[in-house]
Amino acid sequence: MLFQWKVSKRKNTINEQSGQAQTVPSGEIDNRLDANIETIRRTTGNSTDVVIRRFMLGKEKNIQAAIIFLSGIVDESMIYQFLLESVVQIDFPSSCLPNEALLYVEQKIAAAGKMRRMKQWNHLFLSLMSGETLLFVDGVSEALSIDTKGGEHRAIEEPSTQLAIRGPREGFTESLGTNIAMIRRRIKNPNLWVEAITIGEVTQTNVSLMYIKGIANDEIVEEVRTRLRRIHIDAILESGYIEQLIEDQTFTTFPTIYHTERPDIVAANLLEGRIAILVEGTPFVLVAPAVFIQFFQAVEDYYARFDIATALRLLRVLIFFLSLIAPALYIALTTFHQEMIPTQLVIAIAAQRESVPFPAFVEALMMEVTFEILREAGVRLPRAIGQAVSIVGALVIGQAAVEAGIVSSTMVIIVSITAIASFATPSFAIAISARLIRFLLMFLATLFGLYGIMIGVIFMTLHLCSLRSFGVPYMSPLAPLIPTNIGDTLFRFPIWALKERPRLINETNMIRQGKQQRPMPPNESKKEGDDH
Amino acid sequence: MTIKRWCLFLVVLLIHITILSGCWSKNELTDLAFVIAVGLDKTEDGKYVETFQVVNPGNVAGATQRGGGSGGIPVTLYTATGDNLVEASRKGSKKISRLVYYAHTNLVVIGEELAKEGIMDVFDAIERNPQFRTTATVVVARKQTAEELLSVLTPIDKIPASQIIKTLQMTEKIWGENLDVHAGEIIEALSLTGKEVVMSSFRLEGNKNTGKQQKNVQSIEPYAKLHADELAVFKKGKLIGWISGEDARGVLWVLNKIRQTALSVDWEQKKEAVVYKVMRAKTKVIAQMNKGTPVISVFIEAEGDVGETLVPFDLTNPTQIAKLEEKIEKEIQKEVQKAIQRVQQEKSDIFGFGEVIHRSYPDEWKQMKKTWNERYFPRLQVKVKVDAFVRRTGLRNKSYLK
Repeated sequence: MLFQWKVSKRKNTINEQSGQAQTVPSGEIDNRLDANIETIRRTTGNSTDVVIRRFMLGKEKNIQAAIIFLSGIVDESMIYQFLLESVVQIDFPSSCLPNEALLYVEQKIAAAGKMRRMKQWNHLFLSLMSGETLLFVDGVSEALSIDTKGGEHRAIEEPSTQLAIRGPREGFTESLGTNIAMIRRRIKNPNLWVEAITIGEVTQTNVSLMYIKGIANDEIVEEVRTRLRRIHIDAILESGYIEQLIEDQTFTTFPTIYHTERPDIVAANLLEGRIAILVEGTPFVLVAPAVFIQFFQAVEDYYARFDIATALRLLRVLIFFLSLIAPALYIALTTFHQEMIPTQLVIAIAAQRESVPFPAFVEALMMEVTFEILREAGVRLPRAIGQAVSIVGALVIGQAAVEAGIVSSTMVIIVSITAIASFATPSFAIAISARLIRFLLMFLATLFGLYGIMIGVIFMTLHLCSLRSFGVPYMSPLAPLIPTNIGDTLFRFPIWALKERPRLINETNMIRQGKQQRPMPPNESKKEGDDH
Repeated sequence: MTIKRWCLFLVVLLIHITILSGCWSKNELTDLAFVIAVGLDKTEDGKYVETFQVVNPGNVAGATQRGGGSGGIPVTLYTATGDNLVEASRKGSKKISRLVYYAHTNLVVIGEELAKEGIMDVFDAIERNPQFRTTATVVVARKQTAEELLSVLTPIDKIPASQIIKTLQMTEKIWGENLDVHAGEIIEALSLTGKEVVMSSFRLEGNKNTGKQQKNVQSIEPYAKLHADELAVFKKGKLIGWISGEDARGVLWVLNKIRQTALSVDWEQKKEAVVYKVMRAKTKVIAQMNKGTPVISVFIEAEGDVGETLVPFDLTNPTQIAKLEEKIEKEIQKEVQKAIQRVQQEKSDIFGFGEVIHRSYPDEWKQMKKTWNERYFPRLQVKVKVDAFVRRTGLRNKSYLK
């Protein structure tokens, strides 16, 4: 609240400052080639990757022309083979005006898919910067922009964040076109619509909005569109920028927009009526609206049979709670409710605590923080050193600390279980929010014991129920309870029982499959089919 | 703006309140003295002596790999004297460096002298204290004080209190001459007129002085040993008599406490020739009125195996089995009848027959209530009906005996 107030006061000044430090020359291009080249040189600051190649056009080679492109982000072999070679070699009509020469190149010579004539400098620069080649002809106040996008990209690899034992092995790359294609290949339907938006005043990042017309809720699509258009920022370097700029609630540890590296997950979500936001330069695709239970749905839940999927889903919810309250529970039980621990166990724990000089809270906090340090170090370090760190860490935490009598071995077990539990959550985004809340609950447990944990969990639940993602209640279909969609929450009903798409996200095109999809012997299915 | 500031101020204030009020009931594990057993005695001048058996966590098995060390004793005994139990308990703090914590007290031992004087007053403090569990087992120290019974080291279960509790539970389950009675059940029996208190006793035998030392557990045969003893019968909270052996088991039959036991019957002139292992048993007690006098019927259902035969016995023959079942039924019936007569001599209704009548015939009970133990119970007609069933014959049908 306070932050919003401060921002609104300064809004006007910020908006004007946003954008570029130095403006691109406005207006149209000149008809003199030299002047145009000079403008480009000046604007790009003579950058070395701007390639300017002058040559002569026409039958008598008397018309000056130049192509300009950025090396590295264009397909150079295409420029040389199909554009430059043919432009220089081909015969032009005998008496040829510069204007006609340009037309001739556009229509007869250049073998590229997409070509546009442009006059405005800002359009031209945008094309140049996104990998197109500009063709200037002396004496013409128009330029031709030829699509020659290309260059080096990371190949499609197995996603590194959301691994699956069964399921497609390909993951998104940094290339927007490749990512869109990967989704297209999965949903061969003209109703899969892609909208392009450019965001970022300096970076001019291409962002694509993807949804299935007729399944996605138009109002939500419009809402996403408006929120994206409202963004005025200098740079979008990763989809995380967009996520933070368009989410419903900022002050929450829970993610209200889902992100994934897997095209099959995006395809499944599009088919449920959700909207994908693809950002150039990152393999992480945003999916909105997101609901709480979505973060517990691993992709394999749908590829494995339902009984196994249900068991794993329940396990994951248990894991979430374990990673949330395990240390808090330890603190509460050992400092307030010793009567709740079985006698044998309480004596064993007491024996270990005999030599520990700290209160349970300090002990737990110390171990949790140590673990977080190790985890953070392990993530940031190069892989080879990372392993060394984890070995040292395991020894330091696991043995030396216990032997030195600084922590009890029960605490080590608790911390280890918590740590492993937080890694077992399929979505890193929700695991990390559980980690933060864990510390809060530990603090409450120190003050009030189990009562404090209950208060904390109740507050967390209230907060979760108050969240919205693009207008969809975050806890749906659990709260508000939607019985027809309950089949894909804590449980995962058989595929043939999941007849409807999630309500609230989509309200028009609900039915997902035909009647009687449950496999059964031929005679019986015929009988039952007649009943319907 | 000002409203928002006020809100912020209030939030900060509220956070402080929560922190200030917190932690008042917080106790670290290292600040607690886990009292595992409490012994209660009375001095000659009428003061209570409370004995605490406090666990020494570092020396309990399982924690000894580290630090616990050699020669550590798992429990320590402290005693304190006071006019009442709370006073004695609080005075104990003079000797114990940590907070006396009763939530894990699983055993209450009552000295025989105190039991004879009456246990009516003792249980109020136990029931009132929120820490104290009413599921704690209660036993009487036979022929000694509670303090004496508790001052012994035991070999297998390192904590003597655990030794007593587990012995009692196990023997009740597989032999059935002793009762594992909880404090809650005793409080219930004390408050009812139609039921009297019965509980097991324990005895420490051998060299008591050596029993207190580590030496006791380092010998293959401990110098001092604990063992479960006779059943103590109370009347109006006072110990009045002892029941032992088969009579004690008969009491357990009536109380529906028999789970497993073994009994032998005569077969073809040979005494105690076939052993029947009871594996499951159930008892129902029903009250009826016969011309104004109450009649109690005890129905016993037993199911079990043949455990041993000392005569050639054809177990494949159904008529033989039927005959055996009949003999077992008679044997159990005899045992139970004898036990009931024995208790009737004590004039104390430990079976709770009075309560059965109370539930079935509340109006008639009102008249019998006052003189129940003196007039009605000793002359009460009790019918015992037994239904025994041989389920299995073990791994052998025909014995190798010829």
